[in-house]
Parts: sequence; C-alpha cells; structure tokens
Amino acid sequence: MPDPVLQVEDLCVSFTSGGVTADVVRDLSMRLDGGRTLAVVGESGSGKTITGRAIMRLLPRGASARGRIVVAGREMLSADERELRRARGSDVAMVFQDSMSALSPYLDIGAHIAQAVRLHDPSVTRRAARARAVEMLDRVGIPGPADAVRRFPHEFSGGMRQRAVIAMALVNRPALLIADEPTTALDVTVQAQILALLRELQQEYGMAMLLISHDFGVVGSAADDVLVLYAGRQAEYGSLRDIFDHPAHPYTAGLRAATPRLDARLDTGGERTRLRAIPGAPTSLRDAGPGCAFAPRCGLADQVGERCVVEAPLPTVRPTSEGGGLHLAACHLDRLPATQEVAR
Amino acid sequence: MIVYIARRIFTAVFMLLAIAFVTISLFFGASKDPARAMCGKPCPPETRAKVSAYMQTDQSVVWQYTEFVKGLFVGRTYGEGAQQVHCHAPCFGYSFPNRSDVTTLIAERLPVTLSLALGAAVLCLVVGIGLGALSAIRKGGAVDRFSTGFAMFGLSVPTFLVGLLVVQVFGFMLNALPYSGFVSFSESPTDWAWHLIGPWMVLSFILAAGYIRVTRTQLLNELSADHLVAMTARGASTRQVNRHAVRGVMVPVVAMFALDVTALLGGSVIAERVFSLHGLGDLLLSGVNESDLSIVVGVTLFSAFLIIVGNLIADLLMPLLDPRIRRA
Repeated sequence: MPDPVLQVEDLCVSFTSGGVTADVVRDLSMRLDGGRTLAVVGESGSGKTITGRAIMRLLPRGASARGRIVVAGREMLSADERELRRARGSDVAMVFQDSMSALSPYLDIGAHIAQAVRLHDPSVTRRAARARAVEMLDRVGIPGPADAVRRFPHEFSGGMRQRAVIAMALVNRPALLIADEPTTALDVTVQAQILALLRELQQEYGMAMLLISHDFGVVGSAADDVLVLYAGRQAEYGSLRDIFDHPAHPYTAGLRAATPRLDARLDTGGERTRLRAIPGAPTSLRDAGPGCAFAPRCGLADQVGERCVVEAPLPTVRPTSEGGGLHLAACHLDRLPATQEVAR
Repeated sequence: MIVYIARRIFTAVFMLLAIAFVTISLFFGASKDPARAMCGKPCPPETRAKVSAYMQTDQSVVWQYTEFVKGLFVGRTYGEGAQQVHCHAPCFGYSFPNRSDVTTLIAERLPVTLSLALGAAVLCLVVGIGLGALSAIRKGGAVDRFSTGFAMFGLSVPTFLVGLLVVQVFGFMLNALPYSGFVSFSESPTDWAWHLIGPWMVLSFILAAGYIRVTRTQLLNELSADHLVAMTARGASTRQVNRHAVRGVMVPVVAMFALDVTALLGGSVIAERVFSLHGLGDLLLSGVNESDLSIVVGVTLFSAFLIIVGNLIADLLMPLLDPRIRRA
C-alpha cells in the first residue's frame, strides 16, 4: 500500500479558556490516499472545521492539538514554523467556506494567486507569477482571465470568487486539499458546478481531498469515504455506500433521515412527508459525561440501557457491502434495527 | 481623476463663499456694534456713526458681503484722505483694532499654530497607533487595560482641564517645563520644542484617545479575519501577515487624521489660551471679543479652507489604500 497523503492518529484538540480545558476533538484517526476524497460530516460544533485547521496547524489562540498528523510525509504537529510555512499552500492547501472573507479586500485576484506562487518559489518573477495566475484562473473556468486577474474580490460574484479561491489553493499543486464547506455559501446550481470543478481538478492533479461538510447531498455527490463526527468524536467511518445504505450508528441514520430530498413526494406516493430532524441539540463539550455523547438524543439508547450512559463506545468493525473498505462505528448496538425509530 | 479634483475644487469655492455669507450674517445678527469698541470713551452717537461709516460696518449684510467678495479680487479701501487704508487683493478684510489686514495677521500667527498642530499630530499618531496596536496584540493584557482607560479618560476629559493640569504639574509643581510663550523654530529649535512640549502633550492626549480606539478595534478585526488565516494557509509568515493587517488599520486612521490635522491647523483655541500661545485660535478669540468682523470671517474661512483641503486629500488617498472605494 502506498504511503497515504494524510494520516491522522489519535488527534485530540482542546481549548483552554478561563482555566477550563475542553476537548473539541477526541481520539480521531483517519487515513487518506491520493486521488481519494474523504468527507468529514457533522453538525455545527462537531469539530469538523477544527480538525481541518489542526491538519494545517491553523488553530486559533488557546487551542492545542495532540496526537499525530502526517501530511505528505511531514509530521505537522512537531514541525517548526519554517517547515509549516513550506507545507502550507504547497503540500496542503485550503478552500474556505466564505470566499469573500477568505480573500483580502486590498489585493486583486491576481495578487492572491501570485502571492501563493512566490511564497513557495521566490525565484519566480512577479510577472511570471501573474502569468501563472491568469493560467490558473483560466483553468478554473473564469471567463476573460487576463482581465479577471486585475479585478478585486468585491467585484466578483460568489461562484467566481470560490473559483478564484480554488485557483489560489491549487496553484502549487498540493497533495492534499482541505475543502471546508466549499459550497455552503453558494446557491444550488453553482454548488454543483464548483463540486464538479473540484472533482475534475482532483483527478487531473491526483490530489487527496478532505471535504468538510454538513450537507449529505454534497457528500453523496463528491466523497469516496465518509467520516461522521459527533461531539468531536468519530461516530462512524466507512465507504460512501456503507454510510448511506447501511449506517451502523444511530446518529448517521438520523442524519440520513434528516436530509431533505427533492424526490420525497414520489417516494411516499405523493403524501406529504415531514423532514425528520434529530431532536435536541449537541451536548456541551464541557459537561460531557463518561458515556456515549449521543446517548441523550439517541432513540435506541433505551434498548441498550445503562451501558450507553456509563461507557463511551469505541469504534468497532462493522460489516461492509461488496467492494467497500473499512467500516467502523462507535455504538454499543451491534446492528441497527431494520425499521428504525432512531431518533426519539 | 483630474476632472474629479477640478470638480471638488469648484464645489469648494462655492462652499467657502457660502460660509463667508453665513459668518457675516451671523456676526451682524448677534454681535454688538464693532464701532463701539473703536470709538473710545466717551462715545457720542455722532462719533460712533462716523467710526461706523469709516469701518463700513453701517451698511447692510448683503452690501458687506458683496464688498467682501469684491475685495478678494480687487482689494478694498477704507476711509479717505489721511485716514485712508488700503487692503490689497486678495483682501480678506482689515482689522481696525490691530491696524493690519487680516491676511498679514493670519500669516503672523500661522507659525505658532503650525508648530502646535504638527507636533501634536505626530505625537498623537505615535501614541495612539502604538498603544492601540499593542493593546490589540496583547488583548486583555496590562497595556490593553491601561490604554483603554487612557483612551476613556482622553475622550471624556475637557481640554482646558488637561491643559491646566499639565501647567500646574509640569510648569509649577515640578518646574520642569515652561508654561507659556513661544520661541520660533528659526531662532532656536530646541527652545522651540521645549516650549511646545506642554501644549503638544495636552492636544495629543485628547486626540490620541480616538486613534487608540480605532487602531485597537480595527486591528482586532483584522487579526481574526479569515483572509489573514487564508494568507497563513498559503504559507505566509506571521510577519508578512501582520504587515498586511496594518493596511486594514490605515484606512480609518488616515480618514480620522486628515480631519484632525486640519482642525488643528485652524487653531486650537483652548490649548493656545492655556499656554498663552498667540496662534490662530487666540486670534479668533480676540476677534470675537473685540467684535472684529474681519478677523472672525478671515480665520473662519481659513479653517474652512483647510478642512475642505484635508477632506479632499483624505478622499484622494482612500482609494489608494482600499480598492473597494475606487470609483469605476
């Protein structure tokens, strides 16, 4: 097996404020090969974004990461500032959710891309870097790239800006792209275009992609494998097919049921269907007890009983469908009941 | 660009003419008779009328205004015979109590005000931006708490109180600084600075407060901005990122500075009064006290002119700093 582009082992990220320390990500492990896409899914506050930032060592003040992160052979957590600078933007790049705030209002689009080029290869002249920017804008499908490089972020539409952000991230051909909700701020048709572009470029460059999303629709159309996070812990991991068709964790099943579907009416023979939300809100990370973090919201916890409250489940291997890889779920139940009333 | 500047200057001229009209009208609407102060005691009505005619203050507001505008282009002559005084074009008026035309008076006072304004401006920028930046970088730290309190104090304490305190403490109690007077720069640069330290401290203390607050808020915004995280994600060093953050801070600071400096150049009445400096603020005050129309109009117009120019410069600088303000 070739070395993975990204390997994360037992990652813990904790925040300290006012003398209190809370783990926002706990014991997370993942492995991602070149050319593959791993989607990290979860609701707000589940630790998806923090995980992505931890990989690039872009954690906010007061946060610290433990464990092991290897990107393209480089140990990220023990790397010094110099090494990190070399890795960022070159081995691993990031596409942000909000393209407006991810671009500096004081620089034109070309300057952003040229900066990414010249930070990693100072021998490139300003002029050559601008030329690379034009090329790259053309590659991501921005019409009139020679003119577009001189435009400022506020003069671009949301979709165009996201394309420019992608051009900026990919100009140095990173081995790993972390796409943090890359389509959330866009409308549905543009979403599809951006996802298609990301997939196309991924294939062309053979890069690995970590797709951070809360949208099962996006995940379904872009991911190879899926990692479901709940309260900073791995709830379930598996191939897209296993996660979608044979979820082994009640939370995953609940998320699936809560995904709006355009064909919902047809499914029920024209009856009105209500979206099935998972009741409750994620428990605060500070007062997490010893048990399963999802237990208070889980419709199946009663069936298991005491164990869910006192003992946190560890990820265990689950059956896979044909051709599927590893399938893990952290649940005390060996198998979800067929007719699921997973959420209370 | 040139068209834009020309248009702004064109508007400015009309604005200044309007300001002159308003000032003259207000003066005659509210003030006592200028001739009264000049005719001495006792002042029989006939002498007073004569003086009034000589000073041309017996005419209507509209007449005053047209004479004033005419004076700007062709100069103005008061009285006749041995008593005749002539004020060369561009004439901004003639001050009878000072026996001098207003242009000369302003030119005489300008070095004092200029010294005061420029020193205070530099000092308040250094202190304001310095403290603001330090408190943003170490938010919640000792410097932050100190400078937030400092800014609060600066914004709420009146200038005259700070001025009197500085005079009292540094001038009288510590005997460390001169508490009045002015030495021109050409005479002795060290004495010049020495005499101005007190007023500079007072003015920049009041002004720095605004810069501390703006710099702190803006830098905090910038430092947590996604585009700086994104810049780090591209491989930029902390230094490069910080340098870029400064740009975002510059925009409001430049806007504020342009207004503050021009306001200072128009004369700082209170600081000049406290330190007995004879600058434009002091000139204006004496003009008001002596019901000297020419001085009031002249200094007002001069200040207005500076403010308009300051605004224009700020408006021209702004698009260079922030491309979002650029016109199509």
